[in-house]
Amino acid sequence: MPVITYRQALNETLRQEMHRDPNVMLMGEEIGVFEGSYKVTAGLLQEFGAKRVLDTPIAEEGFVGMAAGAAMIGLRPVVEIMTINFSLLAIDQMVNHAAKIHYMFGGQAKVPMVLRTPGGGGVQLAATHSQNFEVWYAYVPGLKVVAPSTPHDARGLLRSAIRDDDPVVFLENLALYNTKGDVPDEADDGDYTIPIGKATIARAGSDLTLIAYSRMAVLAMDIARRLEAEEGLSIEVIDLRSLRPLDRPTIIESVKKTGRAVVIEEGWLTYGIGAEIAATIQEHAFDYLDAPVKRVAGVEVPLPYAKVLERAALPNDKHLIKAIREALYGTRS
Amino acid sequence: MSMQTDASLAPPPANDPALPRHRQLGLSDEQVLAALAGMQRVRNVDDRLWQLSRQGKAHFVITSAGHEAAQFGCAWAIRAGHDYSVPYYRDMALALALGQTSLDLLLHGMGKPTDPASGGRQMFGHFSSRALRIVSGSSSVGSHIVHAVGLALAFRITGEQDIAAITFFGEGATSEGAWHEGMTIAGVQQLPVVFVCENNGYAISVPAHREVPVRDVATKAAGYGMPGVIVDGTDIFAVYAAARTAMQRARSGEGPTLIECKLHRLRPHSNADDHSKYRPAAELTALAQHDPIDKLRDYAMQHGLLNVERWQAMQQQLKAEVDAATLAADQVPNPPLESLYDHLYGSAAEA
Repeated sequence: MPVITYRQALNETLRQEMHRDPNVMLMGEEIGVFEGSYKVTAGLLQEFGAKRVLDTPIAEEGFVGMAAGAAMIGLRPVVEIMTINFSLLAIDQMVNHAAKIHYMFGGQAKVPMVLRTPGGGGVQLAATHSQNFEVWYAYVPGLKVVAPSTPHDARGLLRSAIRDDDPVVFLENLALYNTKGDVPDEADDGDYTIPIGKATIARAGSDLTLIAYSRMAVLAMDIARRLEAEEGLSIEVIDLRSLRPLDRPTIIESVKKTGRAVVIEEGWLTYGIGAEIAATIQEHAFDYLDAPVKRVAGVEVPLPYAKVLERAALPNDKHLIKAIREALYGTRS
Repeated sequence: MSMQTDASLAPPPANDPALPRHRQLGLSDEQVLAALAGMQRVRNVDDRLWQLSRQGKAHFVITSAGHEAAQFGCAWAIRAGHDYSVPYYRDMALALALGQTSLDLLLHGMGKPTDPASGGRQMFGHFSSRALRIVSGSSSVGSHIVHAVGLALAFRITGEQDIAAITFFGEGATSEGAWHEGMTIAGVQQLPVVFVCENNGYAISVPAHREVPVRDVATKAAGYGMPGVIVDGTDIFAVYAAARTAMQRARSGEGPTLIECKLHRLRPHSNADDHSKYRPAAELTALAQHDPIDKLRDYAMQHGLLNVERWQAMQQQLKAEVDAATLAADQVPNPPLESLYDHLYGSAAEA
C-alpha cells in the first residue's frame, strides 16, 4: 500500500479517470497553467491539453452552469471552485438546475457532473475564505455530497463521484491536502471505488460513538486513539464520508451498541450536520441512549483573521474531549 | 493624513501647453511631491508586509506594486470623507492615498485589534474606514461593484449633493455576473458612479486574453450606456485627468463612466503565488521599465521639483517611518478572546 498525500490522491485519480473515459473534462479558475490554487490539477493541462482542462474566466455561475449543460449530453465535467465560499456565486446552478434537471424533465437527461471544492478554516484566510457550506448542498434532494477525510477515501470517492450519473458535490479541505495516508496499490486494484452513501467505521469501540467527516474525522481519530492510550476508553469512530445520502443504518447500529454519541463538525452548530445526526439517533435509537447526544461545532461568528481569534472560533481537541466526557460521565457544561 | 487628496479644490486648470503637465492640471509642486512620497511610502509597506509574512507575523499579503500611480491619480479626484470609495484587494495605495497611514495598513496585515479596517477580523487587502468613506468588501471577486452602484442610488434618496461613488477592480472581475449586473443598473439609472478597472493583464495566473474577450475592457462600457476611457495607468497625470472628468460628470448628474487603467503587476498576486511560473522571463525583466514610482520621480527631477539629494533624504525618512510603524504595530497585543462576538450584530449603542 503506497503512502501518498490527499492532494496526490486527487491528482492521480483525476488523471486515471481522464485516461479511462474521454468524456471526463476539467474546468475552473487557475486549474491549467497555475495547476489549481491548491495544485490538485498539477500536470493535467500538459497531459490532456486545453480542450479537456479549461481555464475559465472568473465567472463561477457561468462555468458551473456550463458543466450542467455539457453533462446533459454525456460529458462528465469535473469543476473546481477555488473554495466552497465562492461556490455560493454558482449555487443557483447547483440547486435550481443541476439538482433538478433529471427529476423535472421526467428522467430525460442526466447531469453527471462533479463540483470539487475545499472548505474549512484554520489557515488564517478569514471569513470569506474559511466557511463550511456542505450542509447547504446536503440539504438538497437531487444532489449527492461526499466529504473524504483520507487519501484512501479521496481516491475511492472521487472515482465514484466521476462515474456517478448524478451531480456530486465533492468536499475537500484546505488543511487536509498535505496529509498522508495509505491508498490501494494501483497494480492490484486500479479500479477501487467507495460507494457514495456509505459511512465507514474508521475505528471500532464500545464505550461511545464519535461521528465526524472531513477534517474533523482526522481529529476524531486522533482523540479516540489518545483517550484509549491515556484512559483506556473504547471509542467507535464513524467517518460519514457521504453527507447525502446519509448512511443512517451505520450510525443507528453503532449507537445501539455504545449507548452514547458525540458529533463533531467544523461548521456552525445551529441547523448543522450534527443536528441531523442527533435527530436521527433520537428517532431510531432513543431507547438505547444512556446520555444525551452531544454536538461539537464552530463558534457562531464569521471566522476572524487574527490567529488567536481564529483558534478560539474553531472546534478543537479540548472541545471534543470535554463533550466526550460529558457524554460518558454526565458532567454538565 | 498622508497627502492632500482634495485636488479638486485646487485652482482651476491652466491649459497652457507651455506649462508642465501637473501645472496644466492645476496641481501644485507640493502635491506632486506628496504623491511621490506616498507612493514610495506604500511600496515600503508592501515590502515590509512580505518580510513580515516570512516571519509569520502577517499571514496574507497582496501587493499594490505597479498600481500606485493609478490609485494615487484617482485619489486626487476623490474627496476623501465625502465621496465613497469601494476598493478591491489590490488597492493598498488607494487606502493610503485617501488618508490611511502605514501603521493602519500594518495593523490590518498583522490582524491587530486596532486594525482600522476590521479590528483583526478581515484578511489583508480588505480596506475600510467609515471616516474616509472607504467601504469594506468581501473576497468574492467583483461582488463589491454593486455596492458602489447602491451607494450612488442612495445619494438620490438621501439628497447628498455634489457626490459620487467610485469603485475599483481588476480586468478579471469584469467576467463576473455581479459586475455586469452593476454596470447594467448604473447605465439604466445613469447613476453617479465611476468604475475603475486596474488592468494589469493577469487574473492571478490567467492572462487577460483568456479572461476578457475584447482587447480593451473600456469597450465594454458601450453595452451599458456609459463612456469608456483608456489611460496609461502608470501615468499619474493621465489617470487624474480621466478620473477628475469622470467624477465631475458623476457629481453633476451626467452619469457613470468606465475608466480602464493599463498597468503592470510588478509582483506575484500574493505571498501564496510565484509568478515566474506563468509569466515569460522577458516580461518579468521588462517590469522594471513600468514602475510608476520611477516614472513620477523622473518627472519630478526633469521639472526641477526634486534633485538626487532630496530624493535620497526622502527615501531615508520614509524608511525610518516604516520601521517605526512596524515596531508600533508589532507591539500592539493580539485581539482579546472575549472580543470574538463583538460586531456580529449591530447595537443601538453604535453610531
